[in-house]
Order: sequence, then C-alpha cells, then structure tokens
Amino acid sequence: MMRFLKMLFTWWHHQTLSTLLHTRRRGKLMGVDGQGNCYYEDKHGASINGKTRRWVLYNGDIETTRISPEWHGWMHYTVDETPDQAAYVKRDWMKPGQINMTGTKDAHKPAGMADTTGYADGYDAWTPK
Amino acid sequence: MSVRRLNEEQPAEFAFTPENIDWAEGQIAKYPEGRQASAIIPLLWQAQKQAGGWLPEPAIRHVADMLDMPYIRALEVATFYTMFNLSPVGEHFVQLCGTTPCWLRGADDLKDVCRKLIGEQGEITEDGKLSWLEVECLGACVNAPMVQINDDFYEDLTANSFEQILSDLRAGKEVATGPQNSRRASEPEGGLTVLKGDK
Amino acid sequence: MSETENNLVKVTVDGQAVEVAPGTTIMQACEEAGAEIPRFCYHERLSVAGNCRMCLVEVENAPKPVASCAMPVAPDMVVSTTSETVKTAREGVMEFLLINHPLDCPICDQGGECDLQDQALGFGGDASRFDDNKRAVENKNMGPLVKTIMTRCIHCTRCVRFAQEVAGVPEIGAIGRGEDTEITTYLEASLDSEMSGNVIDLCPVGALTSRPYAFTARPWELRKTETIDVMDALGSNIRVDMRGREAMRIMPRNHDDVNEEWLSDKSRFVWDGLNTQRLDRPFIRQNGKLTPASWDAAFDLVESKLKGKGAATAAIAGDLVCAEGQFALKGLMDALASPHVDCRQDGAKISGPRGNYIFNASIAGIEEADALLLIGSNPRLEAPVLNARIRKRYLMGDFPIVAIGEAVDLTYKAEFIGAGADTLADLLAGKQSFADTLKNAKNPMIIVGQGALTREDGAAVLAAAIELAAKTGASFNMLHTAAARVAGLDLGLVPGEGGHDVAGIQDAAQSGTIENVIFYGADEIAGASLGDAFVVYIGSHGDRGAHRADVILPAAAYTEKQATYVNTEGRAQMTEQAATPPGEAREDWKIFRALSARLDVTLPYDNLAALRAAMYEAVPHLAQLDDVIAADAPVAPPHDGLGAEAFTYAVNDFYFTNPIARASAIMADCAKAKNEPKNRGDSSEGTGTDG
Repeated sequence: MMRFLKMLFTWWHHQTLSTLLHTRRRGKLMGVDGQGNCYYEDKHGASINGKTRRWVLYNGDIETTRISPEWHGWMHYTVDETPDQAAYVKRDWMKPGQINMTGTKDAHKPAGMADTTGYADGYDAWTPK
Repeated sequence: MSVRRLNEEQPAEFAFTPENIDWAEGQIAKYPEGRQASAIIPLLWQAQKQAGGWLPEPAIRHVADMLDMPYIRALEVATFYTMFNLSPVGEHFVQLCGTTPCWLRGADDLKDVCRKLIGEQGEITEDGKLSWLEVECLGACVNAPMVQINDDFYEDLTANSFEQILSDLRAGKEVATGPQNSRRASEPEGGLTVLKGDK
Repeated sequence: MSETENNLVKVTVDGQAVEVAPGTTIMQACEEAGAEIPRFCYHERLSVAGNCRMCLVEVENAPKPVASCAMPVAPDMVVSTTSETVKTAREGVMEFLLINHPLDCPICDQGGECDLQDQALGFGGDASRFDDNKRAVENKNMGPLVKTIMTRCIHCTRCVRFAQEVAGVPEIGAIGRGEDTEITTYLEASLDSEMSGNVIDLCPVGALTSRPYAFTARPWELRKTETIDVMDALGSNIRVDMRGREAMRIMPRNHDDVNEEWLSDKSRFVWDGLNTQRLDRPFIRQNGKLTPASWDAAFDLVESKLKGKGAATAAIAGDLVCAEGQFALKGLMDALASPHVDCRQDGAKISGPRGNYIFNASIAGIEEADALLLIGSNPRLEAPVLNARIRKRYLMGDFPIVAIGEAVDLTYKAEFIGAGADTLADLLAGKQSFADTLKNAKNPMIIVGQGALTREDGAAVLAAAIELAAKTGASFNMLHTAAARVAGLDLGLVPGEGGHDVAGIQDAAQSGTIENVIFYGADEIAGASLGDAFVVYIGSHGDRGAHRADVILPAAAYTEKQATYVNTEGRAQMTEQAATPPGEAREDWKIFRALSARLDVTLPYDNLAALRAAMYEAVPHLAQLDDVIAADAPVAPPHDGLGAEAFTYAVNDFYFTNPIARASAIMADCAKAKNEPKNRGDSSEGTGTDG
C-alpha cells in the first residue's frame, strides 16, 4: 500500500503511476541494460522537437547517471540505433559506468580539500620520543 | 641583437691592468663623492676593451666592486646598452648597418659578403679575426651603405670593396677608413658643385 | 605646517574642486576628489617609477595624457579621469600589457586577488586583437619563499624598488631591454632578506607568488581573521587565512605605527608550524615515558605534587604567551604564596619602572630621530620590520648610526665602534666622539638589545644605557625579541620578595629546594638544568619544554585564542581567534583556572571578561588597546659594574627562535637555503607556459 502511495505522490523512488500507465499504453521496449533499466520509444512515433520520444524506466532509484554508458548515446539522440542494433564497441580503455556520488561519503575529494576534521591532510600532533 | 644575455662560457676572473686602474680612478674622480656609480659606462667600456671586445661576467662584478654598487645594477647597465658585447667577438668586429638608408643603398649585399666570408651573425671565424652583427642606424646615412669595424667607419661600400676590406683586415694589412669610393667625407660624388670660389 | 596650509593648490578633478598641498601628485589629488585611478607600478610606500602608464589622465592644455603618479599638481589644473581620451588611453595601455601576459588565470595563484585581472575587467577592452605568439620568459630562482612565473611579469619594478629601498638588499633588477626585459636577481641568487615575502604582496600580477602556498587554496574560499603576530616583539598586524581549521597563509595588515604594510618572512611563513608538532592532549610521565592521559589524570598528578608545596613551586613564562595567561599564572603563583616567578626565560636583567623596558620613542618615532646608538642589538634579525623603519629614516639622510656589538650587515650604514661593554663605558665617560653627536642631536635614540642584557653584567649595561640616555637627552628604547615579554613585565612576572629568577630557579631545582616548576610556554631552557624537579609544561607545541616535562597540559597557539599581547613599545593589541585549539587543548587561562581549583586556591574569575576586568584593574593600560602609553622616565637599576666582554646578539638563527618556528618545515627550508652557498644560474624551471 505504502509503495502504491509513494508511486502516486513521489517520483524519486520509482516511476510514478502515470509514467507506468503511459508506458503500458504507448511504450515500445527497445532494450534492457545490465542494471535492468528498460528503455522505451513511443510506438506511435509521437515526437518531441521532431524526434521520436524516448524514455527509461529505472530498475530502482531514479538517478539519471544510472543510464548505462552504451545506452547514453541512444537516450540522448546522439545515435538512433540501440546498442543491440548497432555494433556498440566497448573499448578496453572504457571504464564501467558509475553513478554520481556527489553528496555521499564517496563523493570526489580533490587534493587539498578540507575534510570533516577541518584539515586537508590532518594535522601532525606531537608524539613524545 | 635585442636579446642580451650573458655568455654561457665565462673566464674565471677579471681584473683591470694597473694602467686601466689609474685610468678608471681618473674617471671616478670626475664625479662627486657618493656618485661614483656615474662612472659605470666608461669603466665597463674600458673593461670591454681590455677583455678583447666583449664584457665577461667577472668584469661586470669587478667594475661594480670598484664603484661600490650592487652587482645587479651593473648588470642592468651592461645588458641594456648594445655597445656592450656580452659574448666574444672577432678581433675585427663588424657592425653592419641595416637600417633603411643603408638597406636601400645595398646593405643586403654587404650582409651576403659577411655570410660568405664570416658566417652567420655572432659567429667568429676560426682564426678569431672576424665576426659581424647587424645593428641599427649608426648615423652615417649620407655615406650609405656603411659598416663600423671596431672604432672606425667604412662608408660608401660595395660588395667588392667590402670584401676587399675584410680580406685585407684578415691578412693584417692596413685599410683606409672612411668612404671607399674616393670621395672626401660626405662631399658630393664627383666633386663639389657649389661653393667653389668667391663668385 | 601652517605655511603649506596657506599655499594649498586648487585643482579641479572631473569638475570637482579640491585643495591639495603643493608637490602632491595628480594621482593623490584625484584620490582626494574620490576618483579612482588604475595603477600597477605606483605604490605609496615606494619611489615613483611611472613605467606602467596605466594611470594616464587628461590634463587640460596638455598635448597628450599624462601619467598621474609622476606628475605634480600645478595651480588651477583641470584634470579629467573619465573622458573618452582617458578611457581609450587606459584600454590601449591595458591591451599592450596583455599582449605578453599569458591567459593562465585558471592556474594562477594570483587569480581572484590580481590587480591585472581586476583592472583588465574594469578598464580594459573586451577582446584581444593580438594574433601572434606571446613571449615566454624563463622562471628565476628567488629562494624558497618566492615562486616566480616570469612570463606573467608586466615589469612594474615594484619588487626591484622594494628590495632596493625598503629591504635594503639591492639584489633584484631588470636586465635586458625592450621586449626582452627580465626581472631577476644577479645570476639568480636567492634573495638574502628577512622581508622577501613582501614582494609577493607587491607584485600586481602572478609573477611572484608564495611558494609554500602554491596551488593550495583560492582567496575566496579562505576565512580571514585579523589578528596580531607574535614571532617578534613588534606586534605586526596580520591576517590569518584559514580553510577549515587549517591556517593556509598569513598576510600583513596595514598599521602605520607598527609594521606599515610589511611583514617579516618568519611571521608570514610560519603558518605550517601551527599544524605540526601540536600538543592536542594531556600527557603524563609514567615509568620515564610520556603517555597520553585524560585531563583529570593529568590534574590529579599535578595536584599530588603541588598541593601544599606552593613555596617550593616556581613558574617560568615563555616568549609567545599572552597577557591573560600570564596574569592567570601570576594569580595562581600568588595564591600558592610562591615568589618564584619569572617571565624572562632568556635571563635578561631587566628591572625598574616601565620606562626601563619599553621602546619609549615608539616605532613610528624612529622617523623623527636624528642619531641612533644600537647597543648589543641586531634589529635586522630581532625585528626585521623595525629595521626597515630604521633604514627608511636612514634614507632620509642626516642620520648617524653607531652600533656596539659584532659588526653585521644591517642593510644601512652603521659604524661599529666597539664590540663590548667597555665601549659603552667609554661613551658614557665621553671618550667617544659619538657621545657628542648624541648630545648635539635634537632627537637621539638609544636602542638596547636583549643580547646586551642576558649577560652577567646585564644590569650594569642597562644602567649604563639609561645613564647615557639621561646624560645625552636621548630616548631610551629596549628592543625585545619575545612578544610576551612586555606584558609579562607589566603584569609583574618577576621574582617577588625572596624569589628566585630564572637562573636561581634552575640552581634551586638542582639543589632540591624547588621541587616543582611550571613551564608556561618556556622552551628556551635546557631541561637538564632543572635537576629532578617535577616539571609541568603548559603550551601549544612539543618542543624542548615538552620533552623535559613530567606533565603536559595542551594550550592554545596565538591564532587560537583571543588574547592580549603588548609589543616592545608598550602597545597593547588583541589577537582574534582564527580557529579553536586542536583536540583537547584549551585556552591558557582556563588551564590555570582549572588548576587553581584543584589546588584549592580557586582564581576569582570564571570567564574571560571577568579575568580581563581583574587584569585591567591590576594593570590599567592593558585596557587601552592600540595605544602607546607614555611610561615614566627610566631609572638606572643597581648593578655590580660593567664587564668588558663583547656583546652577542639575541637572535642568531632567525628562522628558529620559537617553538612554532621550529615546528615549521618552511622555516627549516629557509634556514637551509640561507646556509647553502648562493647557487648561481642552475634554476631554470621552464617558463610557466609548459604547464
């Protein structure tokens, strides 16, 4: 029940009810990435800015950086072939995708940035010899 | 000419000869007490003469010490004035004027002569006799094109006469200074046309 | 003065009439009228160079724009700083300056506080028309403190003039000519000055930046706290820039009567010492080893040793401690009925009224002096900024300076007439010609250094100097080396009736009559000289004192407390707290207050305000912040006669005079660079365009 209410009134835990209904009605599943995110295109060709509408249903938290690197190009209209249609080549120098860690404890900390102790590299307390 | 930096290789030390010290003290005495630094240019000039036409780094320090001034102040002067050569030059140092009047009258031909007989600018011939440098106007435009070799002007040059001069100097022969086309000073070529007599 | 007032010159600036003294420059007149003039080479404390041309203004009837910094006003001059001509002139100058200035602001340490950046925005054009290659200049070596990226230099020559005029080390110059002009030291020797860091502030671009601070922070992310420096007894006004709890850099603040706008290298670059070797928790000695302990355990141990042994307890205050802490220490010792208190850990024989131990003529008063005698003082190392003030007076001319002590380079011409106290005796007896010079001068000064007072016959030297001052009408001035000292003497941290001084405490500790010694930030005393005494160390840094201690109570450093310091001229100034003390360290006075409660002699104040009220009651002039209170005339103390030994100076290792400086890696680098022979011509580090 809680899940259903959340679905109605929040958008950040899961797709909302209306998105789900819309997807049922008009969505054409184009593929699923390794994380289980489902990528859809409008089956009737309804377009935005002259391009067929595309969207994603996340398998879990709504976080745009969870879109897999191989789907990113399709999702952003850089390419029109989905990774399965086009021979998406994963080069060996490509790192696996990682979600944005800003605001979490794993956030990137540049050298010289003070941490929660107030010091960048800590300070050097005296220890008796 | 414009980038003026100390030469990489420098002699270990420099000191004025006793005669030059006497001469320098005479120069210093021209200025009031506490203003000895005013004698910096004549002293550096003398040091350049003594060192064979260029100013080694120890000479700059030697002069600064004599004048009781900081080394950097003496270095500033030495690197500012183009009359001070900061790297070695040939025994006959050719300063070739390349400014417009001389250039129009054929300074480029003289440069070719230099390149042929000496080499590129700043290079010294193997016998150590010659080196050359293009300089700005030396104030003898009326006798263009011209060069200055050590203390003397050689004017109204052609490629041939210039080549002859350089060869003669190299061979240690006497060379006539001044105009090389037989005119006197800056009188008109072919003799006077006015002011010939009372009438 | 009245004469010049009558002769004021009337000038019109942008339609506004102002009256200024004759000889004023157009720039100053414009500032009087509230018009802002951009400038790079002009600096009010340096000579006028007039070579950047940024300050061009239009003067009526002048054929072309004039450089306002170098042009004196004439009567009825009409100046415009906003006309179209001025605007295009500024844009033109700025365009030329930017031709050879790299566009590397994102990686430049000056970014955000750069005159060129600000003025290009305010007065420059909107786009570059320059298509050719920019020039690149090799970086120069200027020592461990000043980082150079010479491609950025715009040849304002401020650094050249500073080195020549203020620092008195004419080692920087501009070599070459035209486009190939480069600022350098002679063959790239590092700058031999205790004030070299000031060229970083003076540089209007990022050509000279702070090497230790390089790439660590941006000015807008720093929290700025205006406070007072304690590295020497001058009380220079500083600003500590913090990020988080870490001091990132220290900058000078302007105070015309103290440090003008200069700062010594030790004061400026000591900040890393604030983050290292810190005492951040109490320690107690167990089985001969110092081990971390709780405050309670530490107090328990102190209580067990000190309780009932008040009269066998002595206290020595150090060089960097504040007035509040010393007042609390004095209160504690009084309550323990111990007369064995001393704030003169160097053993200086200072006694008598206040006039005997302050710089009576005031620092700004140096400029009014017309003859100077230095006795056993090397101000260049003891207070570099004060030394710059003496040099400033020296450059005005007619200022005979004579010194007694080992001959050193003071950056100005001083005649060293003798090395020892016998010369002083000769002077006093009128056997030296300089005695007459002093007598005939209108405003002569005598400066006595600590090196002359820490000797056996220190009291006699003090007496002789005071007598000489009285005899010649000279002002008597004492140059201290410790920021804490004047406050300590003001607060009476000297042995009471029957009390031991520092030497006496050490003797008594060895013989066992003194059983406990409280070291309050005292780090200059050899630990072995205290025999088997129980030592309580209260301080901020683990240094000599902490190594000898049996109990360590961690206290705050000078940037971590709001505290009063009195400088050598008797000027009380208050520091501001830039950070909280690290770990379990506490403010000094709180430690004494807590300790007094444990020893059943609770001090009568529970907060800083109450402590200050009590302190101001005891010593009222401490309340008059930033005022120099004239002291009574000095009185020659009793003594046993002058010796003949040569004077030694109080400061020899400029970079290592106190525990914070000794903890600083930057200071260690400076000392290392100083001791190395000047390295000539091996420093090229690229041009700054290679990054």
